[in-house]
Amino acid sequence: FIILPPDMHFHMIIVAVFWFGFVDSRKIRGISSSYKRFFRERKSFLCIDGSKIIPFEQVNDDYCDCEDGSDEPGTSACPQGRFYCTNLGFRPHYIPSSRVNDGICDCCDASDEYNSHAHCQNACWNLGQRERAYVEGQMRTLDEGLQLKQQLIEEGVLLWREKQAQLRELQQVAEDLQTKLEERRSRKQEADRLKEQTPRPPEAGDGQNSTVTGTFKLLDSNKDGSITVDEVQAKVALVHDEERVLSEDEAVALLGGDHQMDLTTFQHTLWDILTNGGRVKVSALSNTFLFVFLSDLREKLAIDYGPDWEFLFLNSQCYKLKVYEYTYTLCPFNQVTQQSTAGTEVSLGRWGMWEGPPKNQYGRMVYENGEPCWQGGSRSTTVTLTCGTETALRSVKEPSKCQYIMDFQTPVACQPVLKQRGIHSEL
Amino acid sequence: MATFTGSMAPVLVLWLAMSLSGTWAVDKGNFKTCDQSAFCKRQRALKPGDSPYRALLETMELTNTRLTLQLINDNNKVRLLLELYRLQGNMTRVKINELKPLKPRFEVPDVLITEPSTEPLSLLSQDENGVVLSLGTESQRVIISARPFRLDIMEGPEVLMSLNSRGLLAFEHLRMRKDTQAEPEGEKKEEADPANQAEKEEEEKVDGMWEETFKSHSDSKPNGPSAISLDFSLPGVEHVYGIPEHADTLRLKTTDNGDPYRLYNLDVFQYELYNPMALYGAVPVMLAHKAQRTTGIFWLNAAETWVDISSNTAGKTVFGKMLDYVQGSSETPQTDVRWISESGIIDVFIMLGPTPKDVFSQYASLTGTQSFPPLAAVGYHQCRWNYNDQEDVASVDAGFDEHDIPYDYIWLDIEHTDGKRYFTWDSHKFASPKEMLQALEDKKRKMVAIVDPHIKVDSNYKIHNEIRNKGFYIKNKDGGDYEGWCWPGSAGYPDFTRPDMRAWWASMFAYDQYEGTAENLYTWNDMNEPSVFNGPEVTMHKDAVHGAWEHRDVHNLYGLYVQMATAEGQIQRSGGVERPFVLTRAFFAGSQRYGAVWTGDNAAEWDHLKVSIPMCLSLGLVGISFCGADVGGFFKSPSTELLVRWYQTGAYQPFFRAHAHLDTPRREPWLFGPENTALIRDVVRQRYTLLPYWYQQFYHAYRTGEPIMRPLWVEYPQDPATFALDDEFLIGKDLLVHPVTEEGARGVTAYLPGKDQVWFDVHTFQKHNGAQSLYIPVTMSSIPVFQRGGSIIPRKMRVRRSSSCMTHDPYTLYVALNLQRTAEGELYIDDGHTFNYEKKEFIHRRLSFAKNMLSSVNLATDAEFSTGSWIERIVILGASKPSKVTLKTADGQESQLEFDFDASMSVLTLRKPGVNAGLDWNVMLQ
Repeated sequence: FIILPPDMHFHMIIVAVFWFGFVDSRKIRGISSSYKRFFRERKSFLCIDGSKIIPFEQVNDDYCDCEDGSDEPGTSACPQGRFYCTNLGFRPHYIPSSRVNDGICDCCDASDEYNSHAHCQNACWNLGQRERAYVEGQMRTLDEGLQLKQQLIEEGVLLWREKQAQLRELQQVAEDLQTKLEERRSRKQEADRLKEQTPRPPEAGDGQNSTVTGTFKLLDSNKDGSITVDEVQAKVALVHDEERVLSEDEAVALLGGDHQMDLTTFQHTLWDILTNGGRVKVSALSNTFLFVFLSDLREKLAIDYGPDWEFLFLNSQCYKLKVYEYTYTLCPFNQVTQQSTAGTEVSLGRWGMWEGPPKNQYGRMVYENGEPCWQGGSRSTTVTLTCGTETALRSVKEPSKCQYIMDFQTPVACQPVLKQRGIHSEL
Repeated sequence: MATFTGSMAPVLVLWLAMSLSGTWAVDKGNFKTCDQSAFCKRQRALKPGDSPYRALLETMELTNTRLTLQLINDNNKVRLLLELYRLQGNMTRVKINELKPLKPRFEVPDVLITEPSTEPLSLLSQDENGVVLSLGTESQRVIISARPFRLDIMEGPEVLMSLNSRGLLAFEHLRMRKDTQAEPEGEKKEEADPANQAEKEEEEKVDGMWEETFKSHSDSKPNGPSAISLDFSLPGVEHVYGIPEHADTLRLKTTDNGDPYRLYNLDVFQYELYNPMALYGAVPVMLAHKAQRTTGIFWLNAAETWVDISSNTAGKTVFGKMLDYVQGSSETPQTDVRWISESGIIDVFIMLGPTPKDVFSQYASLTGTQSFPPLAAVGYHQCRWNYNDQEDVASVDAGFDEHDIPYDYIWLDIEHTDGKRYFTWDSHKFASPKEMLQALEDKKRKMVAIVDPHIKVDSNYKIHNEIRNKGFYIKNKDGGDYEGWCWPGSAGYPDFTRPDMRAWWASMFAYDQYEGTAENLYTWNDMNEPSVFNGPEVTMHKDAVHGAWEHRDVHNLYGLYVQMATAEGQIQRSGGVERPFVLTRAFFAGSQRYGAVWTGDNAAEWDHLKVSIPMCLSLGLVGISFCGADVGGFFKSPSTELLVRWYQTGAYQPFFRAHAHLDTPRREPWLFGPENTALIRDVVRQRYTLLPYWYQQFYHAYRTGEPIMRPLWVEYPQDPATFALDDEFLIGKDLLVHPVTEEGARGVTAYLPGKDQVWFDVHTFQKHNGAQSLYIPVTMSSIPVFQRGGSIIPRKMRVRRSSSCMTHDPYTLYVALNLQRTAEGELYIDDGHTFNYEKKEFIHRRLSFAKNMLSSVNLATDAEFSTGSWIERIVILGASKPSKVTLKTADGQESQLEFDFDASMSVLTLRKPGVNAGLDWNVMLQ
């Protein structure tokens, strides 16, 4: 029996603890608890794919014996291997074996860098906290978002009904108009035959009066009894070679040089212009106009606004975002534009279609046929919709020339399914 | 990077026109043909015949190492001075200049690494017809014939090379302009001779001697005509190579029925394949090969140069009587070459081989070897014009991790700068470059940012102000700062031929000068031909002024100087510790000393993929080993198949970088579906497993000047079947690669060289015999690569995020046995990034297998380095099954190794020798 000096004792104990600690951690390193049953200490180890039996000492001995990499869960030896980060306090996950001891901290619990020069700190608790805060934030957003979405759905349904009613009314107007136009045409032909050139102003007959009022009401979106430039721009389009929105000056000209117009004036001026033979030359504009808002509305109502018409409210809205020297404008279901600080505006695409993946059909929209690119093709924009409490454009990128990507946040993109997934039990 | 020619608008129109018609090619009209280049036209008009030059033997002076002799042109009586040297290492240098030029003629500086060492010459015999000199000990002689003047270099009875044998020596002497200047005294006297008078008058009538216009550009030519020309005959030679850069076959073609090969650094927008047009770089070095001997011609001239090649079946020349005697039959094949340059002097180095490797070492002794790059630069590079901002960089970087594809460098093209002001960052898109670089550093990755040599003329730009204030800009013919149009708009071009300018430029790379930079930022020099959008042929006016010289004289050197100064800047910023990495587009002889080159703005077409092989092979033959082509093709968008095939090819070429034009869709490796991502991942990983071998090849190239990517004939010089092969190549001497470069290929036919040689498919380990054409069926995952029987190749099988992550990883040795059951290889290890290897801090070992024993012995006993890397696995191809395998380490300890034997392929795998890679050990199979 040898009596050891006390400090020597101490060393021996340390060594012993270390040694057992090492053996133990070598065997279980890189394995999730569900895989532990494969690694119970025995004489031999069967590769998990069953391809080979090796001595148990060769598990995690830094040499790849199994084709499937299962003998080296804790080292970088196997090309197909993966290492399990336990990440207590955060989310566990697998990393490729090639990231074990590569000098870069991958697992937040630092377990992947047990034999490298990297100085990794256990950051799982902090990350976990941040993650929890983030997830909570997300959950709050989702809750709020879903509430907002419900409101928007309700509004959407109302809006849809209103639009449908408008459409019916308008169709009536159109039919009346058609009859009137045919009358006018035959009268004109007659007049031509008589070589009479002077067009006569429309008569404000009884039957016509309701048509005039109906049209006025349709143009008067905010129902304040007066048509404004904005309202004209929204409902009347210029048709030359192809349809386009009126400029402000053009709209003002239609309103007789003023910025608004009441029913009476309308009946005597603009109504005439709009109905006079369909294509009427307005001297102030030197362009031809067509009464197109019927087809416009019909087109708009043909768009898929989601199962509950929840996207309908976006229809008349536009959202802007400034990125570096450009201001981007997304007008959902209409178009995307880019304006430089110098002022030139370029179309990045007109409404194309929904293009979400099967599981989230309304997750992505595509706008196509924007301004042509000088390499051929035309500009296009893909808009990804994400859940948020506000409706706003969050980011715009142009990864390849003329191909834009937007991140658009809105409550109507919130999906109840997300909520059910919930937070991980470890958190 | 592309250039616009002229203003932007015409290009728009041009582009549309081309897209519509479906054709796609260079606008040839922007570049001169020989006929449009006055001196080329003048010189080429001169046909083979009796030379007007006569050697004045009585003027001969012979010192121990130098012979001088005057030549006289009997037509105009202008005298030239011939200098002839015997150089160490079996080379002959011939210099010809005017005896008394009106003013000095340009001699190329900074290309030779040192004044070449001479060896004694001795006079063997002399009579009135000529002189015979002995060239050292190898029974080599130079015969100088007097009338007409010609030089013949002989070994024994064999003529190796003849100069001026076709009488095409021409030397346009400098003269005063007749219409504006008084004639100098000497010439006035000569005018008394009526024949001479007539010739002079005729001379003046030839267009383009004192002024030349091309398109809207005029060249004022204040010095008048100054061209030089000389012909070389190569008896017995049917194959000549080199003189890059041309998008052409490896074996040079005869030029009788078209333009000569042109050497004039040009930014060619959408270059065309298989023609002799000039491209971005010029190396005036040609190799001539026949089964018995390889020789080389190095024409040291930096002016615009044209090279004509013809073969003897047409118009053979008449030899002198002494030669007739030794020549015997006149049916010997022969190649005739003629060099024409616009200015300077004739300074030619004749490298006499006799083996290809001798020529490489001869040329390396003149211009130096490939710089030894940092190991990371041998990895994969991800580039695009442009990664838009820091977020974009971060997301591409993350994409590589997500898809588990390694890479070492991500690149930023011109859009990263503040308005194309190099050395700056766009303040919005790259607001915090140091953070971006740190994020890359955290993953042991690096970045390259572009720095071009055109400097925006902007008084708020520090770099411009300093260059202007120091007077460092190249001047125009009227003495003002030369200005041209390039990416930033109006730009000045620093005079890189000035050492003080280069020193200043280098200092701009210091961390406190080049803001936002860090150690993991490296540099790319583009547009350094130089490219001038509104200049003649998209480059600088030849009458621009570099101090005492015209741009005409130095043009082809400009790009070399830009890279030289940039590399120097990178070395200096680290206090001389770290190796630089600089990529250049323009180059000249000697550019190999400063970094890597790439083949410029290629296109996403199958033929461009194919031509990347001969283009890099040609560069390797003239010393520039670190070569690659834009993977995927720069212009246009590749089909997925082409992209995958290009990755498979690029992974086996020295410089491996994907790049794409601004107007093309994204093409990061994971954008083409999981199947193609897997194919690309697989081949990038193959590259990384082979990094130890690649790195060793770079070390070897740095030591010897031998090409890394080399044509088969270099290793099999006596096998004529290899002489014209350029759809396959060797990496070093041990790996043979035959990339798949055909669309929809179902198989390729590879020639495996070497009688009594065997080759192992590196993927299947199947053994094939040499000296046969082998049909190899291929799928999309196939890259036919073979390891030579008799070689040992080290690999690192643990492919990680970047090469730096793999530093301490263990090695797997692939031992491929030849028919004698032996094999040899090397293992080179150092720190991978500093110059400490120059201080002998490395491990260099020889691995050899013989008599059933594999051993590792030290090849550099005076070097010292320690590594944590160990030998993980030894795979022996073509082995038989042993009963016992014993490892013996340096300390005498013996242990048994487990092993696995695959009888079907005769592959023996030794499990975990575990011995440190830097130590002595051996393994015995019993």
